Amino acid sequence: MRVGLFVTCLVDLMRPRIGFAALRLLEHAGCEVVVPADQTCCGQPAWNAGDRATSRRLALKLIDEFDGLDYVVVPSGSCAGMIRVHYPEVLRDDAVARARAEALAARTFELTDFLVNVLRIEDVPGGFRGSVTYHDSCSGLRELGVKAQPRALLGLMPGVELREMEAAEACCGFGGAFAVKFAGISTEIATRKCRSIEATAADAVVLGDLGCMLNIEGRLRRLGDEHTRVLHIAEILAGEDG
Amino acid sequence: MRSQAMHFQARVPAKLADERLQANLARASGRFVAARAQAVAEYEGDFEALRDAGRDIRDRVVADLDVWLETFEASAAARGAEVLYARDGEEIGRLVVEIARRHGVTKVVKSKSMLSEEADLNAVLEAAGITPVETDLGEYIQQLDDNEPPSHILAPAFHKSKEEVAELFARAHGRPPVDDIAGLTREAREVLRRHFLTAQMGLSGANFLVAETGSAVLVTNEGNGRMVTTLPPVHVVVTGIEKIVPTLEDVATLLRLLPRSASGQRISNYVTVATGVRAAGELDGPDHLYVILVDNGRAALAGGEFATMLRCIRCGACMNHCPVYQSVGGHAYGWVYPGPMGAVLTPLFTGLENARDLPQASTLCNQCGAVCPVRIPLPGLLRRLRERQMDEGLRPRRERRALRLWGWLAARPRLYRLAVRVAARYLDWLADGTDRIRVMGIAPEWTAGRDLPAPEGRTFRDLYAARRKHSKEEGR
Ligand code: SF4
Repeated sequence: MRVGLFVTCLVDLMRPRIGFAALRLLEHAGCEVVVPADQTCCGQPAWNAGDRATSRRLALKLIDEFDGLDYVVVPSGSCAGMIRVHYPEVLRDDAVARARAEALAARTFELTDFLVNVLRIEDVPGGFRGSVTYHDSCSGLRELGVKAQPRALLGLMPGVELREMEAAEACCGFGGAFAVKFAGISTEIATRKCRSIEATAADAVVLGDLGCMLNIEGRLRRLGDEHTRVLHIAEILAGEDG
Repeated sequence: MRSQAMHFQARVPAKLADERLQANLARASGRFVAARAQAVAEYEGDFEALRDAGRDIRDRVVADLDVWLETFEASAAARGAEVLYARDGEEIGRLVVEIARRHGVTKVVKSKSMLSEEADLNAVLEAAGITPVETDLGEYIQQLDDNEPPSHILAPAFHKSKEEVAELFARAHGRPPVDDIAGLTREAREVLRRHFLTAQMGLSGANFLVAETGSAVLVTNEGNGRMVTTLPPVHVVVTGIEKIVPTLEDVATLLRLLPRSASGQRISNYVTVATGVRAAGELDGPDHLYVILVDNGRAALAGGEFATMLRCIRCGACMNHCPVYQSVGGHAYGWVYPGPMGAVLTPLFTGLENARDLPQASTLCNQCGAVCPVRIPLPGLLRRLRERQMDEGLRPRRERRALRLWGWLAARPRLYRLAVRVAARYLDWLADGTDRIRVMGIAPEWTAGRDLPAPEGRTFRDLYAARRKHSKEEGR
């Protein structure tokens, strides 16, 4: 099984270890992983800003790069959602491109969804010990139905105790450019999320989207919380040495 | 109502800093969210299938709006109602004043109508020497508070605590303050009773208009709607042209959705079906009934890419669940409709150029779309509005240029790789050996309230290339 890993632009820039963790998980499960060297960004920032031309260009580029692979796996709910849910709409005016987008969409999975529902893995390499709470990022949850999958995977780790937070499905306030355009509101929303996290007194908050991670970790630290760790689901599953 | 929607961004800091407002918003939205969740969980059928049915009913009407309007008009006329059309808010005002003059009306009792807000009707009536009295408790509170506009489409005083209401009542009614909700309600009821009995006109909105029977359906909790529609000799219904529903059967379906989505009730305390004038031998009902159907931008949406917005049944679930609405409240939005539905409607009704912030003021988290009883794809509509803003040059030049530059780079992998490498190093340098960046010159907004966790310093791409090279050498 040849699986293409779409690392995402934010992981490339900020947290390569999440990309390596995803790679390790896929290889551990026996996949042949291909990382197309020319990948950049799925175009989501342009799409959400209303720049259809740019999102179109980047969608076509990504479709070309991941052509011929059995699956495309993404360690991010919002980027996977962009490909699966939005690409067909981005390319709606071009029948051929749209058909290609739909074919790609059908082969594209968010990482935990892929591990659970396609690979059906039954063990993970990570050895984390401690309590965690899981934040459901918006796109993964509401566009792709990612909810039970990460919890099932955490359930495979004997050292992990899952403590659900209040309003786990509520937005963290990131929203891409929103976080800068409406920084005050974004921070206020993030504060509510941080309070829910802290109320669980978990050792770590785990989630599946780097944008939300940066937002939540950034706000936690600014609020003076120096101890709650903020981990990507791939990191905790793969083991923190990546 | 004159739109202040241009000033969303400017109003935000004061709303965020208002601790009393923040506490009220948290309390009220918490209550609404929990109530809906419970009502959906307890629903005896398949709530998702019910949402599908609701969407389908609304779509059927929106697809043939003109035909349904004619049907409604004929049915209503057969029951003695006069159906009038208003193109915009101004025309609503003119028609209502004309009707009032015709019947010698000096006082109007009103139940909830958002269209009356679109028309700024209270001000228009007062200017014509007619006294409007709001009888919905929330609207009454707002009217007493110097005609402050509602901040929520169902709960106009969503932003107020009961203590604030008690103060307001004490001042307005000249009585000692009462501090429990039942007492406050009793006090309002005593004052309003007198008005119900003396007003010559009742003015209401309508949640639905039934095409087959010509009825106006009102969903209320306080019983004031029933007084307004039956006691005074003249009843005027003001509502949007899209409110039509084909049959009473369809109303029954939508009634399963609306209260559950709005307030978590299985059914509202009152459902009034007002059909025609009082017929010979009937005891209740008005002698004269007028239905004013308002366009004010609605007809233009039918058949277009925003047609799904016409499905809206004004339940308020989208705003109750919206993290942005929960943070700033309804007044920040600046016009009649707040929250996600308002962020779509306000630019469409009052002009894209007059509400520049609203389509942007969303994280696109889709909590609204997930609860909307008629499945309006609100984030998708906001995204479409953003696209139109982009196409019509309504976004700052700086933003457009930055996007274009970034898009150009992202389409050129070699250059992009270099740019990201530089960016990663730069951010790493800003972090200065720590795990975070506390002040970031290029996006100071981010670091105003948050740190930016430090990057690792090298890009995935470079590390991956190095690793591949390494394992090849080892393999050799
Ligand atoms: S958009 Fe949907 S959720 Fe919002 S008020 Fe209308 S019907 Fe209710």
